[in-house]
Amino acid sequence: MADNLWAIREQKRISVAGLANRAGLPIGLIMEYESGQRSIDPRHLNRLAKALYVEDSDIRLQSDPRPGAPPLEKQARGNEPPRDSAVSAPAQTAPRPPSGSPPRGRERGARPRPDNRPPPPPRASQVSHFNDVLVRLGKTEAEIEAVLGKPVASLNRVEMSELLKSLQDEVRKTSAERHRAYLPEGVDSYESRYLTSLVSSGQPVRFSLFDGSTVEGKVTGYGTYIITVQQEDGTERTLNKLALVSYARKADAEAQAGDQK
Amino acid sequence: MSLGDYLRLLRARKGGVTPLEIEAATGLEPGLYRYMEQRYRAVGDDASIQTLADFYDTPFDDLRWRLDWPRKELNRALVAAAKAKTPITLYLWDGRSLTGHVAWWDLGAIGLTTTPGQLQVVQRHAVERWDPRAPEAPDEEETEDVEAED
Repeated sequence: MADNLWAIREQKRISVAGLANRAGLPIGLIMEYESGQRSIDPRHLNRLAKALYVEDSDIRLQSDPRPGAPPLEKQARGNEPPRDSAVSAPAQTAPRPPSGSPPRGRERGARPRPDNRPPPPPRASQVSHFNDVLVRLGKTEAEIEAVLGKPVASLNRVEMSELLKSLQDEVRKTSAERHRAYLPEGVDSYESRYLTSLVSSGQPVRFSLFDGSTVEGKVTGYGTYIITVQQEDGTERTLNKLALVSYARKADAEAQAGDQK
Repeated sequence: MSLGDYLRLLRARKGGVTPLEIEAATGLEPGLYRYMEQRYRAVGDDASIQTLADFYDTPFDDLRWRLDWPRKELNRALVAAAKAKTPITLYLWDGRSLTGHVAWWDLGAIGLTTTPGQLQVVQRHAVERWDPRAPEAPDEEETEDVEAED
């Protein structure tokens, strides 16, 4: 069942700053999510879930305010926009510096921005991602510009974000399967298949252990963490995979040893 | 053996003390030890490694070099070797080295064809270093950081 973000974070004994660092999100945004002032952006949900070692579905998108906690906006100054108020909240609880002293870093970050400022140009990471997506789609920048009706270079950060969203949707539709970076790291079927072939063939196998010893015999069974071997004298021995360095069919191991000599 | 695998081994040798107990004893930031042990990418810095070296009574250098050889880097090297169909050399815990083509790999082991028809199965945690290392991935930030299960 989904739980409030602040409840999961406190259960994991992680500070707001720690969570922000792990998830790569601003502290103020985390505070807004936790106060229920805004619901969690779906793009951030997975990052928060990974940072907290939970599933996406374990986090409630709209957190309930923590019982007894004052509303976030009341901690902030006047009528500032919600995001800035969240960022400035901790500064309000600290003693004020004497008048005339220079503003500290966090307070500088809380200065209101003029509303009429034009959106900034795209981030370097957006441009890099755009080029990567183009390669994946097999398209050129000129083709994109023909659809957009203006040069890509003239896009601002918001427009580039929208463009990337649409292109990524296109990538998903054209991709046969989800891109995973390093398959088959997430499975353990290859070794299982090999062990199955060893069990059915009955060929003797030589195991090298961490303590420098070797064990030889036929594989009679195996599990996720163990391999059971019947030795030449008929005795069975169960080997923990963690104790193993390597193993091979006895004939292969002997050939390997001969090659190394 | 990556730093994470080695820390797990040291923890087992110390009687199975838990990550939480280690963090409490050393003053490491909550969650950091678990990250260092379980994350496939390199987690930790010189300060945290020194703290753990003191805790485990192990030389700092014996932990530090492993930070540069995380499991994720091994994955990349295996991917690169398999894609290029070039041999890879694995330097193992017991001092041996095996050179061959990557036949398969998974969560726990690597199948290495050392000569045609001869397969050696190497347990991943027994791999200390490898050659060649894979070049840096351009989209490193977007790759999935697989997390080991307990």
